[in-house]
Amino acid sequence: MRSFSGRGWTASLICLSVVVAACAQGGGSSGPPLAGCKSGTTLATFWTSHTPPDSDSLKHVVDTYNGQSSVGCVKMVQVPGSETDVTKLMTAVRGGSGPDVYMLDRFTVAERAAAGVLTDLTKYGAGNLSSKYVDFAWKEATFQGKPYALPLDTDVRALWYRKDLLKAAGVDITPLDAANGPVTIDTVRTMANKVNHQDASGAYDVIGFVPWVDQGWHYTWGFDFGGSFFDSGSCKVTPTDPKIVQAFTTMFGDWAKALGPEKAQTWVSSFLPPNNPPQQWPFLTGKTAFIITGDWPLNWVKQYKPDLQYGVTYIPIPKTGDTPSTWAGGWSLVIPTGAKHADAGYDFMKYLAGPDGMKTYVTETQHLPTWKSLGSDASLYQGDHTFFATKLLPVAKSRPPIPVGAFYWDQLSTAQDAVVRGSATADKALADVATNTNAKLQQFCPLK
Amino acid sequence: MIAVPRLRLDKKDRQSLLVALPFVGPWVIGFLAFTAYPIYYSFTISFTRYSGFGDATNIGFTNYEHMYHDVLFWKSMYNTLYYVALAVPVGLVIAIALGLAMNQKVREVAIYRAAIYAPSILPIYALTFIFIVLLNPRFGVLNYAIVTLGGPSINWLGDPAWTKVSVVILAQLGAGGPALIFLAAIRGIPSELYESAALDGAGAIRRFYHITLPLLTPVILYDLILGLILGLQIFTPAYVLTQGGAGAGAGQYVAGPDNSLMFYVLYLYKTAFQFTDMGYASALATVLFLVSVVLALAIMRTSRSWVHYEVT
Amino acid sequence: MTVRSVDRPLVEQLPQAGRRNRRPLAGLLQSAVTPRVILIGMCFLYLVPFYWMATTALKDNPELNIYPPTLWPLAPNPGNFISAIRYIPFPQFFINSVILTAGTAIGAGISNPLIAYGFARIKWPGRDFVFAIVMATIFVPFPVLILGLFDVFTKLGWIDTFLPLIIPAFFGNPFYIFLMRQFLLQLPVEISDSARIDGARELQIFWHIILPLAKPAVAVVIIFAAVAAWNEFLLPLIYLQDESRYPLAIGLQFFRSQHNVQYNLLMAASTLVVLPVLALFLGFQKFFIEGVSVGAVKG
Repeated sequence: MRSFSGRGWTASLICLSVVVAACAQGGGSSGPPLAGCKSGTTLATFWTSHTPPDSDSLKHVVDTYNGQSSVGCVKMVQVPGSETDVTKLMTAVRGGSGPDVYMLDRFTVAERAAAGVLTDLTKYGAGNLSSKYVDFAWKEATFQGKPYALPLDTDVRALWYRKDLLKAAGVDITPLDAANGPVTIDTVRTMANKVNHQDASGAYDVIGFVPWVDQGWHYTWGFDFGGSFFDSGSCKVTPTDPKIVQAFTTMFGDWAKALGPEKAQTWVSSFLPPNNPPQQWPFLTGKTAFIITGDWPLNWVKQYKPDLQYGVTYIPIPKTGDTPSTWAGGWSLVIPTGAKHADAGYDFMKYLAGPDGMKTYVTETQHLPTWKSLGSDASLYQGDHTFFATKLLPVAKSRPPIPVGAFYWDQLSTAQDAVVRGSATADKALADVATNTNAKLQQFCPLK
Repeated sequence: MIAVPRLRLDKKDRQSLLVALPFVGPWVIGFLAFTAYPIYYSFTISFTRYSGFGDATNIGFTNYEHMYHDVLFWKSMYNTLYYVALAVPVGLVIAIALGLAMNQKVREVAIYRAAIYAPSILPIYALTFIFIVLLNPRFGVLNYAIVTLGGPSINWLGDPAWTKVSVVILAQLGAGGPALIFLAAIRGIPSELYESAALDGAGAIRRFYHITLPLLTPVILYDLILGLILGLQIFTPAYVLTQGGAGAGAGQYVAGPDNSLMFYVLYLYKTAFQFTDMGYASALATVLFLVSVVLALAIMRTSRSWVHYEVT
Repeated sequence: MTVRSVDRPLVEQLPQAGRRNRRPLAGLLQSAVTPRVILIGMCFLYLVPFYWMATTALKDNPELNIYPPTLWPLAPNPGNFISAIRYIPFPQFFINSVILTAGTAIGAGISNPLIAYGFARIKWPGRDFVFAIVMATIFVPFPVLILGLFDVFTKLGWIDTFLPLIIPAFFGNPFYIFLMRQFLLQLPVEISDSARIDGARELQIFWHIILPLAKPAVAVVIIFAAVAAWNEFLLPLIYLQDESRYPLAIGLQFFRSQHNVQYNLLMAASTLVVLPVLALFLGFQKFFIEGVSVGAVKG
C-alpha cells in the first residue's frame, strides 16, 4: 500500500533538485569574469533581441572588446523582444535583475526614458559625444535635453524598382536612374500602372506599385510631402499638417481607389501576409515592380536571387524640384535603471557605439552607421549600399522623439488603414490622431 | 443565490471547518499570495498614473473617465464580445460532435482520437504561422476548398468582416481538449438508460436529445464557462497575427484591418508594455474583471434551469 | 481495511457499465462504414496543420520561395531537424521544459484533487461562498497580475529560477478545481457517509475511496496541466533571465528575427516540440478513456 507521503517525497525531491539546479547555474551579473576577458575586469551583462546574423556580428564586437578592455567583461545574452516589445526588459528592471546594457530601438528612447526605465548618461560624460553622431540620431537619443542612449546603427528607405518587369511592359526606365535625381510620383504612377495585371477571376496577381506596403508608412510619405509631425513649441503632435493630409490623400486614399481598395487589399493579404518570409517578398517574386523599403533586403537579394534585375533610387517626390527625403530608424544602446555594473556597461557601450565597434558591426551587417566620420568612409559599403549611405542618409529625417511615440505610431497606422480602405477621409482620420495623441502627450509637456 | 456564511459558528461547524482546512488550505494560501495581493495591487494602481517605474501619481478616476471616451476601449470590447458570442457556441457544438465521434466503436478509434486531439497541443505560436499560410486568399487550402465548392474567395485576414471568424476557426483546431472531456462524460452514461429507451421505441435522435444531452449538462456548463473565460482573454493568436514584425509586410495594420483583431487583452498588453501606462492598463483589467463576473453569473444563474446534477 | 470492502460492489459495477455502453446513434449508423468515413474526414481536417508543419520542416530555403507553395517537398531535407537543434540550444531547452512540465503536472495532480475534495465532499460553513471566490479568480486577466506577481516573486527572491513557474501549481488552479469538483459531485454521498460512520478520517476517505474513483479526472488534470506547462511562453519569458534556463516554447521565438522568419527550421523545431506531448497523450489515453468512467452514476 503506497503511503501518501511517498508521492509527497518525490514531489519535494524534484522541487529541491530544481532549486539546487537553478542555484547552481551560476550567478547573474556578479562573479569572476568570463574566459577571454582580462583579470580585474567587472562583468557586465548585455541584452539584445537581435538574432543571427546580426547577433553574430555583435558577439564578434563583444569578443574583441573583452580581449582588450581592462575595465569591463561583457556577457551577451539574446532575449526575445522586438522594436516595441520590451516586456522582458521592463519586468527585469522592475525586479532588480535587469542587464547593464540593452539594445533599444532608438525611436523609443524618449518613451522609455519618460517611463523611468533608463539611466541618464550625463554623469558618464555622454554629453561630450553629441557632435560625434549624426544629428537626427543624437536627437532621438535624448529626452528633455539629457542623453539616455548612445546611437548605434541606422537604416533608410528608398524606392526599389524591377528593371526587367518594367522593360517587359514597355516602360523606359532611364528616368529612374538615381543619377538623374528623384522622379515624381506621377511618373512612377504611369510606369506602375502599365505593369498591373489581373488574372481570370479579376483578382490582381501583379500590381505595379502599392505605396502603403512594406516601408511606405505614414511617416515615409508625410516626410516626403514635406510635412512636420510634431511642434515642440506648442508641445503638440501635428498630423493635421496639410502636407501630411495631402500625402495621405494622394498615396493612400486616391491610390487605393484607383486600384479598387478591396482588390488591392486582397493582393496585400495574398502576397504580404503577416510574418511573410523574405524568400516570398513580392518584389523578389515579381508580384510588384516598385516598392518602398530599406537597405536590409540587399542581403535577401544576395541570398535568394542574386541575378535580380533591380535598381534603387530616391523616394518619388510630389512635384519636380522638391527636395528628396527619407526617414531613418535604427538602434541604440542604453543602461537600464538599477543596473548593477553601469560603469563597466558604459565602457562597453562607448566601444560598440564608437568608431571601432561600430565600424565592425556596420561592415559585417551592412547597416548604416550613426558615427559621423564613418558615414563618408566608402570602404564600409558594398554595391548598392553606397547609394543608401552617401545619397539617402544625408537627407534622412527621423521620427519626433516624444514620450508617446509608440502610441502615436499606432494611431497613424490606424488612420492610414482607414484612408486606404476608404472608411475615412484623411482630414477626419488625422484629426482623430491629433486629438487622441495630444491627450496622452499633455502630461509630459513642456518638452525640451 | 450563494449564502454568505453565518458569522457565529457552533461546535459542529467549527469541527467541519477544521476537517476541511487541510484540503482547502493550500488554495487559500495560494489565493492570498498569488491572486489577492496582485489584484489588490492592480486595483490601487488603476487610480494612478504609473509607468511601472518610479512613483505612481494618484489621479483618482481619470483612467476610468478616459476609458469612456477611448475609441479603442469600445472597439476592443466589441471585438472581444463578438468573438465570444461566436466562438463559445460554435466551440461547444464542435466539442460535443467530436466527443461523439471519438466514441465510435471502430477498432482503430485511438488513432482518430489522437489525430483530433493533436492540434490542440501544438504550440499556438507555431500553429498561428501555419494558419496564416492556410488562410491565404489566393493559395490557401481553405479558400481553395471554398472556391471549388462554388463559394467566393474570402480575404480572411485582410477583410475586417472576416478576421474574427478566422480566429474562431483557428480556435476550433483546439477543440480536441474539450472533446476529450465530453468523451469521458458520454462514456459515463449507463447503457441501461439507452436500452430501456430503445425498448420504449425511442429513435437515435430522441435518445440523444432526451438522455445524452441532459446528462451532459454539467459538462456543458463547464465548457461554456471555460469558453467564456478563454474567449474574453484571447491573446496569443491576436498577438502573433498582428505583432509579428518580421519580414516585409508584416503589418500595415496595428491589430488587423480596421483594428478588427484588437482584442481586449491585446489592447491591455499594449497599453501596459508598449505605452507603459500601467495605471490605465490596470483600469482596463478591472473593467474586464467586472464584465467577466457579470457574464459568468448570468450563465450560472440560468444554469439552474437546464443543468441536471447528481448532487450530493 | 473495512472501508474498502464496503464499497467494492459499487466500484465493480462502474467499469462494466463503461464497457457495455453502446452509442446512442448506433441505430442510425448501422455499419461501421459511415462512422469511419466521418472520422476519416474529421482527421483529415485536423491533421492539415501537422501535415503543413511536417512538410515545411522538410523543405529547403529555395523551395520556400515558390508560390503557390508546393504540397510535397521537392527534395525532402531531414537535415533541417539537425539544423533546428543546432540553431538554438535545443537539448538544454528540452531539459528545462521537462523540468517545468513535470513539476507543474505533479503540483496540479496533488493539489487540485485535494482542494476539490474539500469543496465537493465535505460540508462546511461558507463552502459555497468561498467556492464562488475560487471561480471569480478565473476572470482576472493575467497581464494585470504580472506586476503584482512579479513583486511577490522578487521579494521571495525567486526571479530567474523555475520556482515561480512550478510552485503556484501546488496551490491549485481554479480551472482544474472546477473540473475535479464537477466529477467528484457525481459520486454518491453514501460512499463517504458509510465510511465516516465506520470511523474513517477524511484523509483516508479521500485517499482510499474517492481518489481511485476519480483517477480519470485526475489524469485529465495532469495531462492538461502538463500540456499547458509545455507550451507556456509568457510566464517563462517574464520570470527567467538567464538564457540557459529558457524552455522550448521560448526557444521557438528565436527562429524569428527582425527581418526574417526561418520557416523551415521553426516548423522542424515545432514538430520536435510537439512529439513528446503527443507521446504523453497516446500513453495516457488508454488509461483514462478505456478505464473507469466516472460519469453520471445513478445515486
